[in-house]
Amino acid sequence: MRALRIMLIKEFKQIFRTREMIAIIFGLPVVQLIILGFTITNEVKNVSLIISDRDNSRISREIVRSFENTDRFTVVNYTTDQKRIEDAIQKWEAQVAIIIPRGFSQDYEQRRNAEIQLLADGLDGNTAGIALGYAQGILQNFQIPDNIKLRAIHEASVKPAHIIYMEERLWFNEDLDNAQYMIPGIIAVLVTVISMMLSSINLVREKEIGTLEQLMVTPLKRHELLMGKILPFLILTFVEMGIVLIFGQYIFSVQVKGNYFLLAGLAFLFLFTTLGLGIFISTITSTQQQAMFVSWFFMVFMIMISGFFIPIDNMPDFMQKLTYLSPMRYFLYIVRDIIQKDAGFISLLKDIIPMTIYGLLIFVASTIKFQKRVS
Amino acid sequence: MKKSATHKRILSISRKEFLHIIHDPRSLIIIIIMPVLQLLMFGYALNMEIQNIDMAVIDHSQTSVSRDLIKQFEGSKYFSVFYYNNPLSEVDELFLNRKARVILIIDQDFQRKFQRGLGSSVQVLFDAADPNAATMIKQYVNSAILEFNESHNGKLPQAIEVKPRIWYNSDLKSDYFFIPGLVALILVMISALLTSITITREKEMGTMEQILVSPVKPVEIILGKVLPYIGLAFLDGLLILLLGIFIFDVPFIGSSFLLMLLSILYIITALSIGLMISTVVQTQQVAMMMALAITLLPTIMLSGFIFPLKSMPLLLQYISYVVPAKYYLIIIRGIMLKGNSLFQLVGQIFFLFLMTLILLGNAIRKFNINLEK
Repeated sequence: MRALRIMLIKEFKQIFRTREMIAIIFGLPVVQLIILGFTITNEVKNVSLIISDRDNSRISREIVRSFENTDRFTVVNYTTDQKRIEDAIQKWEAQVAIIIPRGFSQDYEQRRNAEIQLLADGLDGNTAGIALGYAQGILQNFQIPDNIKLRAIHEASVKPAHIIYMEERLWFNEDLDNAQYMIPGIIAVLVTVISMMLSSINLVREKEIGTLEQLMVTPLKRHELLMGKILPFLILTFVEMGIVLIFGQYIFSVQVKGNYFLLAGLAFLFLFTTLGLGIFISTITSTQQQAMFVSWFFMVFMIMISGFFIPIDNMPDFMQKLTYLSPMRYFLYIVRDIIQKDAGFISLLKDIIPMTIYGLLIFVASTIKFQKRVS
Repeated sequence: MKKSATHKRILSISRKEFLHIIHDPRSLIIIIIMPVLQLLMFGYALNMEIQNIDMAVIDHSQTSVSRDLIKQFEGSKYFSVFYYNNPLSEVDELFLNRKARVILIIDQDFQRKFQRGLGSSVQVLFDAADPNAATMIKQYVNSAILEFNESHNGKLPQAIEVKPRIWYNSDLKSDYFFIPGLVALILVMISALLTSITITREKEMGTMEQILVSPVKPVEIILGKVLPYIGLAFLDGLLILLLGIFIFDVPFIGSSFLLMLLSILYIITALSIGLMISTVVQTQQVAMMMALAITLLPTIMLSGFIFPLKSMPLLLQYISYVVPAKYYLIIIRGIMLKGNSLFQLVGQIFFLFLMTLILLGNAIRKFNINLEK
């Protein structure tokens, strides 16, 4: 036990020997949090827009104004010259153009399907689709201002309006705030990165610079050696989780709705998987560079099919089935559900069970491989 | 005479580094396979539509109109509908256990209100934990209800006919934008990450001193070491580009010569970042983490690779000005997809050039200082 304690002290000293490493270990999660928290969203703002009002009537000016007054669009130019519109789109100066043709107001007042053209640069398909949706939404207001007016139209005619409204309730995230969803995800990614990548590199480092032999002639037992190597990363992972939660709360006001102990306990269970993978990677590689690549490979693969970047629901069927292979899938659900929905142990069981099985299998298999490798 | 000696020394260092890369086929395979895998996954997996959304229906009305409405949802490819008969107080279980993403509740007096023509409401609960998905699902519900209304009232009068016209990519496919982006990412990853590690490796292993006592000049060491990686980055980028063009039909309109030229400029910028890192750190671990932190994340997130910069908070938009990929993305997308000319890309080229000058100047200065110590 004493030997283990000394080993732990050595490990921590080694990890924090350089100033840069301290900065990275404590700074990186915060940077990651801020960047990911603010950037990953399907909400699109300030789409560059060209306005071409060739009608210049009361109603067309009103339409122009409502495009000017939304933060969805930023008007970059007003022109009636078709050539200049095309030029601007070719040079990436504008992504969308709205063209109100001459004679629009007459058609509009007579309800003769007055035409408005929306021109979009479709290369950024996602943004273009969303922007066109916004534009159509704005124009919709001029179509039928609201349900009241709709009813008035119908009441004026003979038929009564048989209409259904949707009364919507948004649960768990009323404001549709993206950070509430992203930050739990970042926790899952960070836990994976720190525990798997750093531990595998750290283990291989001893091999690469030849100090593993030295460690083995010390009175340390094999399992103590392994413990001494992975415990620091286990502790670090929890520290990182804490940092992200604290910053998440202060910067993005993400509150943990569920139980902290449950979250920590299940994170501990998940660490068996990632630390196990870290040990495994260290047994099949001999340099830090290799370890980095292999763990990077595992990581990207695990993250890709976990539902972090691409929601599982958006994947085609066979990919959805593939996600069951990624241990991160289960942990991601667990973290999100505990933080966002206050999910309890029972309702998480369907993720906890496969995650635990994965963890135990991987951990036991790779420790055995490590022991064999070392002796 | 002197020049050819320099040549030789650079080449022999390159050969050594090249052998080092070749000796480790696993890493090489990962370097080459990973981007391809990413390409295929994103290409095939990224689907902006959600289908078969689990919808629980609680029908207290049980009338022909309510059943009509439910049929409307059942007929849609977006929803997979099931009835839920437990008491209302237990509906949150549906979200907690992820049995449903959306719950439709129809009140008892639904049909009566509907037939009186005063408008009848249904309650729709959304699991908004994932706000992007919730927004999308809301749109699907909205349009299903709109369709239902139209089928019961006839088409509503339209005052404006909106005619959208989409240029360059009328199906709004995301591949066109994504694949050139992936090239930008790979070039920076290989150039910055690998060079920073490779030089730090010599330091950490103590072999740097050995090289230094040889008659090789620092500049020659650096050049010799990075050349193989430039080649590797180039090949990898090319591979992705070709796959994109042949598998995903990404168009290539502009000049491939211009793109090649500017890609070299971008690679040099990325290399300077890698060199810069390697001059300040001592161990591979730190080099790796640092390279990941200042190249990988910003290149993916702050360049316009996936998410448009203009939607971000101002501070992050300012930071994006020092992310080389921001400029390269405009260059590669512009040349490939819109056929932009050199003249149209002058601004981007200028920024990349400036960045390279500053970074490279600093790196070489620092490198020399470190050597003298």
